Amino acid sequence: MKRLIIPGTLVALILLAALAAPFLGLPDPVRQDIAHRLAGPLEGSPLGRDEFGRDVLSRLVWGARTSLGVAFASALIAGIIGTAFGLIGGWFRGLGELLTVRSMDVILCFPPVLLALLVVTLMGPGAGTLILVLSVLYLPGFARVTYAEVLSARSHDYVEAVRALGAPAPRILLRTVLPNVAGPVLVQLSLAVASAVVLESGLSFLGLGVVPPAPSWGLMIRGARATMEQAPMLLFWPCAVLTLTILAMNLLCDALRDAVDPRTAGTRSRLRAVDRLLPGLLPMAKPAPGTVLSVRGLTVEIDTPRGPIRPVQDVSFDVGAGETLAIVGESGSGKSVSATALMGLLPPVARVAAGEAWLDGTELLRLPEEQMRRLRGGPMAMVFQDPMSSLNPVHRAGDQVAEAILAHRRVPRAEAWKQAEALFRHVGIADPERRLRAFPHEMSGGMKQRVMIAMALANRPKLLICDEPTTALDVTVQAQILDLLAELRRETGTAIVFITHSLGVVAEIADRVAVMYAGQVVEQGSVAEVFHNPLHPYTRALLAAVPEGDAPPAGIPGIVPPPHAFPEGCRFAPRCRHAEPRCSAGPLALEEAEPGRDVRCVRWRELARRGAEVPA
Amino acid sequence: MLWVLRRIGISVALAWLVATIVFMTLHMVPGDPAELLLSTGGTMPDPATVAELRERLGLERPLLNQYGAFLMGLARGDLGVSLIDEYPVLDEIALRLPRTLELILAGTLIAVAVALPAGTYAALHRGGLFDRIASGVAALLLAVPVFVVGTLLVLVLAQMLRVMPAGGYVPFAEDPPRHLTLLALPAIAIAKGLSAVLFRMTRASVLDSLSRDYVRTARAKGLTARRVLVRHVVRNALTPVLTVLGLHMGTLLGGTVLVEYVFNWPGLSTPLLRAVEARDYPMVVGIVLTISGLFLLINLIMDLLYAALDPRVRAS
Ligand code: SF4
Repeated sequence: MKRLIIPGTLVALILLAALAAPFLGLPDPVRQDIAHRLAGPLEGSPLGRDEFGRDVLSRLVWGARTSLGVAFASALIAGIIGTAFGLIGGWFRGLGELLTVRSMDVILCFPPVLLALLVVTLMGPGAGTLILVLSVLYLPGFARVTYAEVLSARSHDYVEAVRALGAPAPRILLRTVLPNVAGPVLVQLSLAVASAVVLESGLSFLGLGVVPPAPSWGLMIRGARATMEQAPMLLFWPCAVLTLTILAMNLLCDALRDAVDPRTAGTRSRLRAVDRLLPGLLPMAKPAPGTVLSVRGLTVEIDTPRGPIRPVQDVSFDVGAGETLAIVGESGSGKSVSATALMGLLPPVARVAAGEAWLDGTELLRLPEEQMRRLRGGPMAMVFQDPMSSLNPVHRAGDQVAEAILAHRRVPRAEAWKQAEALFRHVGIADPERRLRAFPHEMSGGMKQRVMIAMALANRPKLLICDEPTTALDVTVQAQILDLLAELRRETGTAIVFITHSLGVVAEIADRVAVMYAGQVVEQGSVAEVFHNPLHPYTRALLAAVPEGDAPPAGIPGIVPPPHAFPEGCRFAPRCRHAEPRCSAGPLALEEAEPGRDVRCVRWRELARRGAEVPA
Repeated sequence: MLWVLRRIGISVALAWLVATIVFMTLHMVPGDPAELLLSTGGTMPDPATVAELRERLGLERPLLNQYGAFLMGLARGDLGVSLIDEYPVLDEIALRLPRTLELILAGTLIAVAVALPAGTYAALHRGGLFDRIASGVAALLLAVPVFVVGTLLVLVLAQMLRVMPAGGYVPFAEDPPRHLTLLALPAIAIAKGLSAVLFRMTRASVLDSLSRDYVRTARAKGLTARRVLVRHVVRNALTPVLTVLGLHMGTLLGGTVLVEYVFNWPGLSTPLLRAVEARDYPMVVGIVLTISGLFLLINLIMDLLYAALDPRVRAS
């Protein structure tokens, strides 16, 4: 809204000057005074006189009246007729649509200036001709905008409701649809006015618009061209005024458009430098031998207009060679952000605030980008959730896989394609020679995910991170992909971090599981132990609520709090049926319940004792 | 392939529509065209002259008959003769069109060469100093009408600083350096609006492309930043930019008329403006149809390029 003020005021001032021109006590804009031809500033003529001795300031103000008069008149005519056409076309569809909306598009086949010149030839120059041409030119814009709005309004419930009540079409259009159309039409109107000012001045400049001696900015520039050597300022003034007017109108259009269409607005957030926690507060224990990935105290911070938030806080886990660790949690639990952080793919607004992550003796979180790049797609690879959007639509599948090979190894292109073919066969793609040449849109979702997996495996990674790789696929394909991953792990000994919200998938694929809630790990251990004997109330609720899997845990009241509203103490407390005041006393630590088994709950011991009797 | 044929078919149909509309405009304007064309400043034209012109233009024949003859003429490439000097319209266009095309091409090349790198750079450093300055300049360029830019270029570079010629034309074969010097300013004037539009579009398109999943995939593969940028970000950002380029050719072609006038570039606009003033309507119709046809052709080429860049279009 603030962006409307400056251009809005400017446009209002120009409009006001144009409207008030007769009352400003300016000299007659068309009275010639050859004695003062091209005179500099005179008394009563602060900007001097033009080539016929006419007052420049007065002509500028009166010129605004001409330009804006033509522009507003044509924009209004086009607006009224075009909106009516759009309403009719959108409401009646069929033939009405063809006649009122589609037929308008023909006008768009002409370059605007040319159409104008054609009409000027027939009707002669003049303000009337200009208004006619300009209103015809802007008709399609209004018709289209209104048409689109009517179509979307028609699908709204309230319009359907009024319609079902048997209200006549014209009344529905005027009462319910028109108010919705008002915003976009207003934007269109401002665009038409701005563009009409440009065209009017251009045609007048060519001597084919407004007829002299009427003052018009275009005509003034035309006149001043002849004398630009003696009196350059004469050229400067109308140029400046014209440009300023259009600039103000354009800015107003942009601001209006943003105000009407919230999608384009407010995406830019002011970033604020914030305090960081000192890194490395947690002393690093050397990872156990055989561990491929060891994460300690991973904390991710994102700057938001409301201040920094921490969607991931103090996350720790280990994965050994040939082992699959599942990270499970509802959406908003921070599991995907953790994975993205490990891959060094956090968006620019997010950063790792604390923690360490060791991949085979290399610390990942503070690695320079170039070294990180060498690890990505090499020793550590990732498969993403949505195969539909994760492949580049304009490159062939084979190219995209070969590219991954070429990024890490110096092999000839032909060799890379050969390896890509072997990979395709490996991940179970039938007819690999043909599929290599296919574009993503020619493949099914499951096939695309196989391509993504082939791409991830291209350089024999030690660690494979899978972020909900089956969520976007249908059930039978899901099972196939899970089988494929399990098989690949057996064959290659790759360590897998498998992120999912589905406990069914966890049971099927993982050796160990880490349960995340609101940015923290709340429980972890082997799948068998966690499923049989859950220690954390959240895990217990999850298991009880979702025996089969995919729906959000219906048995737990409430939702995961958003990161800026994480509770002080136990983050699950607001939803926990065992919550006590001490649960919320302060931040909780992840406690080792037994070797390889951690839990973050102050009451886990007593609950475990009663666990057998108390149903979750 | 079928897609290409269909797209060409659509262009031909549009060309026919454009011709029909021009024909209808001529005949649907209230009043007798011959009388309208001859009357200047309110004086009633001599009835004998009107009758003679009606005869020459074939206005006595039935409308449908005239329409048929008009289309037949177009199909044969016969655009009639000028009412003023009986010079064949087609010959005039054949002489002038290459000069106009040269100007358009030069202007487009300049705009693309400036706007694509600048838009990409601004998107990659969004909110940075360059982005803010370039976005401001683009807003300003969009606001200055093309003839104002042209006139000011003449005023400053030719009149005040005397570093560039004010305008004119010398055939390339005669004096290549002089030809290019004379081409520079009008080409820059034509490029100004397009480069502003393309800059904005490129910037928005690259920003959009940057946030796509496939760019994340490309980074996850371990590609170098350069390769991610060229093959995945810019390559995909190009298609919407191309569409905008096609759409704005209409404005560009109109702007060319003004620029040629400002710089005395003897392209199509000189005979067009002369003909509009003299109401030499075969000449006006011929040139308007030529430029509109050019517009359709450019959009056809853009669409085919689009299909070459985006395999999904070819499939549908
Ligand atoms: S700490 Fe308290 S509130 Fe949190 S899960 Fe344990 S019992 Fe529930």
